[in-house]
Amino acid sequence: MQASIVQRAAAGLRRFEDAMLAAILAAMIVVAAWQVVARNFFDTGLLWGDALVRVLVLWVAMVGAMVASRKDDHIRIDLVSRFVGAAWRRRLQRFACAFAGLVLAVFAWHSFRFVQFEYQDGLIAFGAVPAWVCESILPLGAGIMSLRYLLHALDPP
Amino acid sequence: MIWLGILVLIAAALAGAPLLAVLMAAAMLGFLAADIDLAILAIEVYRIVDTPLLVALPLFTYAGYLLSESKTSERLVALVQSLFGWLPCGLAVVGFVACAVFTALTGASGVTIVALGGLLLPALAKAGFGERFSLGLVTASGSLGLLLAPSVPLILYGIIVQQMNVGPPFTIVELFKAGVLPLLLMLACLVGWTLWLHRGGRAPRTPFGWPAVWRALKAARWELPLPLVVLGGIYSGFFAISEAAAVTALYVTVAQVLLYRDIKLRTLPRIAIDAMTMVGGILLVLGVALAFTNFLVDAEVPQRLFQAMQSRIDSALAFLLLLNLLLLALGAVLDIFSALVIMVPLILPAAVGYGIHPIHLGIVFLANMQIGYFTPPVGMNLFIASYRFKKPVLEIYRACWPFMVVLLAALLLITYVPWLSMALVR
Repeated sequence: MQASIVQRAAAGLRRFEDAMLAAILAAMIVVAAWQVVARNFFDTGLLWGDALVRVLVLWVAMVGAMVASRKDDHIRIDLVSRFVGAAWRRRLQRFACAFAGLVLAVFAWHSFRFVQFEYQDGLIAFGAVPAWVCESILPLGAGIMSLRYLLHALDPP
Repeated sequence: MIWLGILVLIAAALAGAPLLAVLMAAAMLGFLAADIDLAILAIEVYRIVDTPLLVALPLFTYAGYLLSESKTSERLVALVQSLFGWLPCGLAVVGFVACAVFTALTGASGVTIVALGGLLLPALAKAGFGERFSLGLVTASGSLGLLLAPSVPLILYGIIVQQMNVGPPFTIVELFKAGVLPLLLMLACLVGWTLWLHRGGRAPRTPFGWPAVWRALKAARWELPLPLVVLGGIYSGFFAISEAAAVTALYVTVAQVLLYRDIKLRTLPRIAIDAMTMVGGILLVLGVALAFTNFLVDAEVPQRLFQAMQSRIDSALAFLLLLNLLLLALGAVLDIFSALVIMVPLILPAAVGYGIHPIHLGIVFLANMQIGYFTPPVGMNLFIASYRFKKPVLEIYRACWPFMVVLLAALLLITYVPWLSMALVR
């Protein structure tokens, strides 16, 4: 029963990430294209539009990287694994995934501290959106990626 | 302690850890050694938000994914064939031109071989070209067009250099202009060699006819405005790059989903997710790489590298020759994005020190990478072609090497004649 709850949660997270990714891209296209039209034909534009699009780029980067970490699909310098047998390839992959999981965990912790500082400073990113909300994807995304890589280390995909 | 960390890091990189984690760890070690709070890393990555140009990457990538999933490849080949097919060796010319255009639009992800190769290979055989020549053509042309707007690697190079703030400043548009003549030179070399190869004998060609041109134009009517608006807009300076990217993404969606109906509305999210997964990884790597680069610059690593080189390499020409060798080797083992984020920060200051313009360096760098795509033993396009055409990799090697020699000759000219890269910029 325990496992099925975890599995259901993981599947829910995957669906949520997919939906986020498609929604962020759609928002990016619509807002960026609207800015072009508004600027060239009406000589106006959304005040917060450009800032929003730039924050969306960060979110695409993080959520896209989260999705890529599901099956360890990140860009890698793959020099050794091509030339070793299946058993060694698996061992190397375990090591590589454990390394990635730990590094991402350290990053997640320090970006969490960064978000905390920013929360205390109370800066505004654009419109009424505080900067810490935009930044919160850093620890959140890195945390989930870290978890996935640690699980890959136990059971390589 | 630091040295132990560096050893683990190198071992992890070789074992196949994600580049993202390797660069993160490298930056962390650097900041630890310099006694800087590691929260700096998050601050640096958050600077993705301060680079408006980055918006262009996801938008162009998405448009490229859409184009490669629709029937654009068929319409493109039909159009180019109706225009150039009557020339001597016409279909080979068609192949080179169509591949270059398609690669520029979709990014050199190997999709050119998959989408265009399947169309061109049987057509080339029917027109009377030898099998080995045809196989070489479609494989070697899979990365042709990397230097043409709006190629994503070119934009990435520009972003990395602009962040480093070394050497004379330039715009991405200038970079796009710089790629035009070198690409034309490569096309001219390939076509010239093809003609020479088929000299004397019958030069296969297809007859020219206005009805065919008209049919092809009509079929491509919704796509024709794309290069005109986008390239025209970018090259003339009417659109900023990020604006052109937004217009392209919107236009391609409307054209392929509503006008052509090549792509069903319910498959659109899947294509968007695939494209964003690919580009998300690259963007995050870029963000981390820029943090690492800042550390390297603070620690004066590139400058020291340059000084060490200066005592052994005394001319810009010798530097460029060595750079070519290094990049060709790297291009065969690294993918283009890893090579860009790792190598550009290290070699740019040295290149500028030798008096090489960053624009010229970028063109040389990417021209090298373009050849690296099909350099044995591990050039990515060799394997894609082997898989797509169901031929052993060794046969692909044999088919490709003459094309490689021709493009290497073009590369030498591009390297030693900076005018080719700079003529249109000024």
